[in-house]
Amino acid sequence: MTSFHPPLPPEVDSLLDHERDIAPLPAAVRARSLARARAALVAGATRSSSRPMAAPRRMRWAAAAALVCFGGAAIGAVAYEVRVRLIKEPVARPAARPVATRPALTALPEAPIAEAPVAAAPSTAPDTHAAPRLSRADAARAELRLLKQARAAVARENYAAAMSPIAEHGRRFKDGRLAEEREALRVKALAGLGRTDEAQRAASAFRARFPRSVLLPAVGRMPARER
Amino acid sequence: MSGVVVSHLRLVSTPLPRPNPDEACLDAFQRELDYVFRTLRRLGTSPGEVEDLAQEVFLALRGAWAEYDAERPLRPYLFGIAFRIASAHQRKRNREVSFGVIDVGDAGPGPDAALERKQARVLVLAALERIPLPRRAVLVMHDIDDVPVTQVATVLKIPMFTVYSRLRKARRELEAALRRIVKETNTR
Repeated sequence: MTSFHPPLPPEVDSLLDHERDIAPLPAAVRARSLARARAALVAGATRSSSRPMAAPRRMRWAAAAALVCFGGAAIGAVAYEVRVRLIKEPVARPAARPVATRPALTALPEAPIAEAPVAAAPSTAPDTHAAPRLSRADAARAELRLLKQARAAVARENYAAAMSPIAEHGRRFKDGRLAEEREALRVKALAGLGRTDEAQRAASAFRARFPRSVLLPAVGRMPARER
Repeated sequence: MSGVVVSHLRLVSTPLPRPNPDEACLDAFQRELDYVFRTLRRLGTSPGEVEDLAQEVFLALRGAWAEYDAERPLRPYLFGIAFRIASAHQRKRNREVSFGVIDVGDAGPGPDAALERKQARVLVLAALERIPLPRRAVLVMHDIDDVPVTQVATVLKIPMFTVYSRLRKARRELEAALRRIVKETNTR
């Protein structure tokens, strides 16, 4: 085959030789990627970027997803309306108002990722799971956005800044698909802030909640290391 | 004891359990994670974005897992997915990442051989950046991953003749880029 074109010069080939060996990823990156992949499996994410390969399946998935979204929107709208009426005076901030006045059914397709869910979720509300008006894909994006902020802050060692997105994620997506990563980040941030007792408590809670997590060894080391 | 007998009987009478496709897909991804990350880097993904795009590769792999023929080698298949995702990403960003400065200084302490190896990898990556993505993909698959030309054509969905012509041109471009980078580094 290669006789059709001239071979690579030996010095170029020897350089490529170095590139042929693939260095293993750092353990933390590997663990994080696998945790995210596992979370995507658990959440049953259906988004796929390989259009040509999965076209017929995607059509079926799209139809099913549309049906689920429509049903979810209807149920979500009813639940939202009921909740808004039940909670007359939420402890929420004033910023919540404009969102609350939006017609719930039309809000769904617009995917208001950024501001939506904080609205009617005071700390006393019994259900702090995902906001009812977000579709699954939008919720996933919102989760990812929050945790990206937290991760970036932790990477900069600005642990105080990380606490806010972590708390918001916990409030909006208590059992979200990235809850495992959130709790790991919480341990790291608390440890980084020197709140060792809380970090250790969070680490114990993490161990209890995710006994098979790939992040477990890293979480176990954090409270001691960040002090 | 009776429990053992029952479970034994159950094992005999029921067909072999089929592996869970999600788990199989995750296993495959886990096995090839290093390769996926490196391939995305070779295809021009920046270090800050490679993790997110690797997740997209996983989601795409999972979406297409039912159609994947386990008899086929996985790496070229993964390369096809990574190539489509990296191309789409590059189109979206619509900009070329400049590797004008070769930062070999951050190689860190280590034995000479390791440093040399790392410098060579940085150099190759920088040179690859200067080759347009369609030709780079052919070169990476054939000259680095050792994938036969016929398979390159299948995975990238292009004729064999196109593979040969892209390969020929990409090799010339690689050589020229390497020379230019070395020269630029020496004069700096």
